[in-house]
Amino acid sequence: MADLSERFAAYASHRWPDARDVRVEGLVRIHGGASRETYRLVLRCRRGAGEEEHRLILRRDPPGSLIETERAVEFRAYTAFHGTAVPVPAALWLEEDTRWLDRPFFVMQEVRGGEASPQALFAPPYSAHLERIGERKWTLLGEIHRADPEALGMTEVLEKVPLDACWRRELDHWERVIDEDELEPQPIARAAIRWLRRHPPRPAAKLAVVHADYRTGNFLVSPEGEILAILDWEMTHLGDPLEDLAWSLNRIWCWARDDRAGGLLPRERAIAVWERASGLRADPEDLRWWEVFSSVKGLAIWISGAKEYSSGANSDPVLGMAGWWLGNSQDRAMLETLGHLR
Amino acid sequence: MKPEVPVALQKLSLSLLLEIGPAIGVEYVQRGAGISAMMLQMAAEEWDRAAARRVEENAALRALFREAAALAGAALGARLREAAAGEDRDLRVSALEASNQALRALLVELHAHVETLDSPEARRLEEAIWTELRRSTERRALPLAPF
Repeated sequence: MADLSERFAAYASHRWPDARDVRVEGLVRIHGGASRETYRLVLRCRRGAGEEEHRLILRRDPPGSLIETERAVEFRAYTAFHGTAVPVPAALWLEEDTRWLDRPFFVMQEVRGGEASPQALFAPPYSAHLERIGERKWTLLGEIHRADPEALGMTEVLEKVPLDACWRRELDHWERVIDEDELEPQPIARAAIRWLRRHPPRPAAKLAVVHADYRTGNFLVSPEGEILAILDWEMTHLGDPLEDLAWSLNRIWCWARDDRAGGLLPRERAIAVWERASGLRADPEDLRWWEVFSSVKGLAIWISGAKEYSSGANSDPVLGMAGWWLGNSQDRAMLETLGHLR
Repeated sequence: MKPEVPVALQKLSLSLLLEIGPAIGVEYVQRGAGISAMMLQMAAEEWDRAAARRVEENAALRALFREAAALAGAALGARLREAAAGEDRDLRVSALEASNQALRALLVELHAHVETLDSPEARRLEEAIWTELRRSTERRALPLAPF
């Protein structure tokens, strides 16, 4: 880590030419999503008369990951939503030049005092506030979908998909991932994909910013139950807002507690909260399409991670465990939504 | 082989979780140790059933193919009959897994074909395929899985 600290300090000096005595302290790797290496660090320097301290998060591209994502898009999402009703960390630097840290990376402010781990959220002190967290969770999702992608500047970096093509674009993408990465036949996913193509949803009600990994575990919560920041925007794209709602309701994010969506709220209440906040309606049939799709997408992600782990491209055990732990659950979720888990 | 493999894996898992993990000072590595411990628990579970679940599933798929062959066209029907006549003589898990993958790939083809047919027999076969797919998830279920 000493080498990485020194190299990052050199980079910070490059970004802040007026800074003196730039040094990095306490750089440690943390778990922060499976698609980038995430580090926490303290950057100290002198600028002007005073000593400055910046608590930062460094997100560096890995050699291999669960998801192939575009860091510039994630960086832009943080920039776009910062200062809006949707809490996100302040984004600082995006660097694509590999001479600094071998791989591209971006840097943002650390949001302190929050917990993201679902296991922690379902224990005190957080467990006393699960309903409140749930209300905020789906309210904030509604806020994301209420936002105008054009006004946020997201249309500058993301493809403007025709409303009637949102579903096909996503399904084509994730089917291709399964085609390329599957290590064994996937009869349930293949049947689900055929069903999805036979029963397309209606065109999206609006073209929205889709977070694309909005679930319990991807936001920071204070001990008082306040959501401090929405994280992991690495798969963000423009599309049908029902995609996000469906993903947030997926069975595998219930964390084996009970039927509550995300372990937080009854499903129908979560939908009602989202509808109120977004100003949109979740048509049951369209939502069902996106829920089946969300399991296809989930499975594709676990398949990709298993391939990376098996090939040795990435030895993070979370990739191997996801293949075992979530793959079969995702199949069962798919069967349930299709009406075949009786 | 004593201690039994599941016993050894469970003890290794607990050691990693309760002794080695807490002694690791780096948070990221500590969490990796915890995840590795969970994988060892799952491996212990899988060890005992690995051959049995594949033998059971391969037999179920062959039985399904025997019934389905008459509904399929000539080419697919011939492949279904050939697959149905197969046997699991080599009981190593790697050999059973290779047979299982070949059978499940053929199941994908059969399922897609049956969906295009319009007859009560086709619907009954389709229902039988879904039942087998549901059972396939039960055979693979892990106690710690989220759903």
